[in-house]
Amino acid sequence: MFDSLKKKLQNIRTKFASNIEEAAEVEVEPQQTSGTAEAAPPLARPEPPAALEERERPTLINRVKVFVREREILIREKDIEEPLAELEMVLLENDVALPVTDEIISRMRADLVGRHRGLGASVDDLVVSTLRSALCGVLGEGLDLLRYVQEHERPVKILFTGVNGTGKTTTVAKVGHYLQKNGFSVVIGAGDTFRAGAIEQIVTHADRLGIRVVHHQPGADPSAVLFDAVQYAKAHNIDVVLADTAGRFHNRANLMNQLEKIRRVMKPDLVVYVDEAVAGNDAVIRADEFNRTVGTDAVVLTKADMDPRGGAAISIAHTVGKPILFLGTGQGYDDIMPFEPRAMVDELLGGGD
Amino acid sequence: MLDTLGNSLKDAVKKLSGKTVIDRAAVDELVRDLQRALLSADVNVRLVMQLSQSIKKRALEEEPPKGMGVRVHVLRIVYQELVRLMGRTGEVSLEPQTILMAGLQGSGKTTTTAKLARYFQRKGLRVAVICADTFRPGAYDQLKTLCDRISVPCFGDPAESDALAIVREGLPRFRKQYEVIIIDTQGRHALEENLIQEIIQINEIAHPDHRWLVIDAALGQQASEQARRFHDAIGIDGVIVTKMDGTAKGGGALSAVAETRSGIVFIGSGETIEDLERFDPDGFISRLLGMGDLKALVERAEEAVSTDEIDVNAMLKGKFTLRDMYKQLEALNRMGPLRQIMSMLPLGGMQIPDEAYDITSTKMQRYRVIMDSMTPSELDDPSIIGSARVQRIARGAGVTPEDVRELIKYYKIMQRALKGMRGMDGGKFNMQRMMKKFGGPGR
Ligand SMILES: Nc1nc2c(ncn2[C@@H]2O[C@H](COP(=O)(O)OP(=O)(O)O)[C@@H](O)[C@H]2O)c(=O)[nH]1
Ligand SMILES: Nc1nc2c(ncn2[C@@H]2O[C@H](COP(=O)(O)OP(=O)(O)O)[C@@H](O)[C@H]2O)c(=O)[nH]1
Ligand SMILES: [Mg+2]
Ligand SMILES: [Mg+2]
Repeated sequence: MFDSLKKKLQNIRTKFASNIEEAAEVEVEPQQTSGTAEAAPPLARPEPPAALEERERPTLINRVKVFVREREILIREKDIEEPLAELEMVLLENDVALPVTDEIISRMRADLVGRHRGLGASVDDLVVSTLRSALCGVLGEGLDLLRYVQEHERPVKILFTGVNGTGKTTTVAKVGHYLQKNGFSVVIGAGDTFRAGAIEQIVTHADRLGIRVVHHQPGADPSAVLFDAVQYAKAHNIDVVLADTAGRFHNRANLMNQLEKIRRVMKPDLVVYVDEAVAGNDAVIRADEFNRTVGTDAVVLTKADMDPRGGAAISIAHTVGKPILFLGTGQGYDDIMPFEPRAMVDELLGGGD
Repeated sequence: MLDTLGNSLKDAVKKLSGKTVIDRAAVDELVRDLQRALLSADVNVRLVMQLSQSIKKRALEEEPPKGMGVRVHVLRIVYQELVRLMGRTGEVSLEPQTILMAGLQGSGKTTTTAKLARYFQRKGLRVAVICADTFRPGAYDQLKTLCDRISVPCFGDPAESDALAIVREGLPRFRKQYEVIIIDTQGRHALEENLIQEIIQINEIAHPDHRWLVIDAALGQQASEQARRFHDAIGIDGVIVTKMDGTAKGGGALSAVAETRSGIVFIGSGETIEDLERFDPDGFISRLLGMGDLKALVERAEEAVSTDEIDVNAMLKGKFTLRDMYKQLEALNRMGPLRQIMSMLPLGGMQIPDEAYDITSTKMQRYRVIMDSMTPSELDDPSIIGSARVQRIARGAGVTPEDVRELIKYYKIMQRALKGMRGMDGGKFNMQRMMKKFGGPGR
């Protein structure tokens, strides 16, 4: 995941840098004698380090530059207009939702325009740090589930929510497996009593993993099932209750009310909203609705293995302002990765490699 | 947020109204807003860029038809280009057929399989389904439960791990007795090469008549790439967009259609078996753009500029189909008492049999239901409808065979009436202009 975004961001970075440098050189132009071959603005700039070396060559233009090196260059909007437009494209192509893209772009613009920089300072550093703070601002902090469970009163009750087919049930199984591997005991509540085959699905997963499932009949009240699961955990000193629920659309008031009732009855410590990495702009709308109607404490993003882009992570994290807990990366029980935003941003922007 | 988008698009459109010459800035603004609407509906970014380029080019280069305002001219181009992008609406025949379902994990294949079974069952066909998902826990139970509700047989085996074995065994079992066989498969994506190979093999074994790709309405920019891989693997000939009852716009499905050069066949609009709709391109476009009235607007404008002429000569030469008849009836029905209208038409001294007038709107409704249960070839050439077909159509439409025969009889009367017009001079007459005189369609 994120490979394509990473590659594109690297290109953009170079583009910003060369555009700003170009602007700087244009500003210098009046002072130089015309006619020198080197005076032509660099069109396709090589890698920034190479560019710097070139600048040290004692050509006429470089000598001129030495005079103005101490002078400050003001970054103007038009200098970065083009790379900003390109960045916008890159974000959109990588499934960052339109409003979130807009926000990142305007942050970048606000941060860069009007900035002074000494000609000596590296443009690249400036661009990278601006992009980094824009992305970090959007992605927020992560959440360490193991620590969370460690630090809270048991049983820790986790309610999984989300629209249809995003991977809630599979995630419940994976998280159960992850917690068990790390020494915690787990019980699952089969709160999807609606979808055909849903109980069979979760029971099969749990059997394979040796996890206990509390379930009722198809069509039963999900609140009652999940209440029982919590009671079971209390009676048996289980560390964590994982509550599966039926998928539902945020625009169905009765189903959202049902979820709200579940929340009142089982009083979860964490409400984990599950969506998929391949979701486009709707990710923002539904994440927002779920957050407003039943609340969201953390997010799991599934099916990251389908999508090397990963923009939905940025969209959703930005919209609900809650940490991303895990990425789901396949259909196996081990296909789950704790999410670390800083590591991801570092990865995206690369250390110049 | 999306409403704001729809609104800003509307504002941009408004700026063009009342203009008589194309204003480049106004077109730019419209195209920019259009881009934003399409992007936030998840249409592929490159596709959006291409589309907006050609819209802009045409808007600036093409002369608006005489009498058409700039605003409508540009909107008409937008509409035409979107329709072009959408491709043809996937044709659904009511012949015996095998359908292979394909798609990403969780896109809605199993639910849609059951919905399709219901759809064909309602059309009076005998349907069976095969569960070739041997991976997802509970997959068989899910499909079996849904099929039991509508008494459709479902073949599968939760203990079997080889999907190919299931298909090999299930198909011959159903082929003799059932007319429509639908094969549900497990979810897979473009990067899962072994699973792509699996569906290639299922396709080879089953020789399905259709390979339909099920796309979640919320799917984002991945849609194109995923569709391409499925298309390369098995040749997708139709797309089904699911979960349109949510707030997603389905732009990803549009990208998938563009990629596979197919069309959208059905829309999934809910979790129950009944929540399946035939695709309506205009509704889909309205939803994409967040503005409701594009087609109606364009049509009204076009009508004002040049009314379509109905070629009576073609009809006289025997090209009068059931579809034509229905269209005519619909149009005429809107204009008031049929007898009165007919007497005003320039039909010379021709005799119209009394039965031709005897058509009420309840009857119209019944005719529509009956015609919905017919195949395209039956609609085009009702003479092929023998008694076996009458039975099937009646079963599908939930009416008696007499009702079906009555419709066919009515058709024959109309056809004869038209033949009687042969030789009338001025074979072309302007139906629409006539209609307008009597209050016009759409009232
Ligand atoms: N490729 C992939 N498939 C997944 C992932 N998580 C879930 N799935 C699949 O997505 C489908 C729907 O998952 P499910 O857990 O039933 O979704 P729910 O309806 O939200 O409970 C199933 O076929 C899962 O195997 C993931 O991270 N990667
Ligand atoms: N609201 C709604 N839910 C749907 C629709 N189609 C499928 N679903 C739900 O989406 C989820 C995944 O569907 P399923 O058929 O299991 O997907 P599959 O993994 O592709 O077979 C289930 O919860 C279905 O009930 C639809 O059109 N609308
Ligand atoms: Mg589930
Ligand atoms: Mg399925």
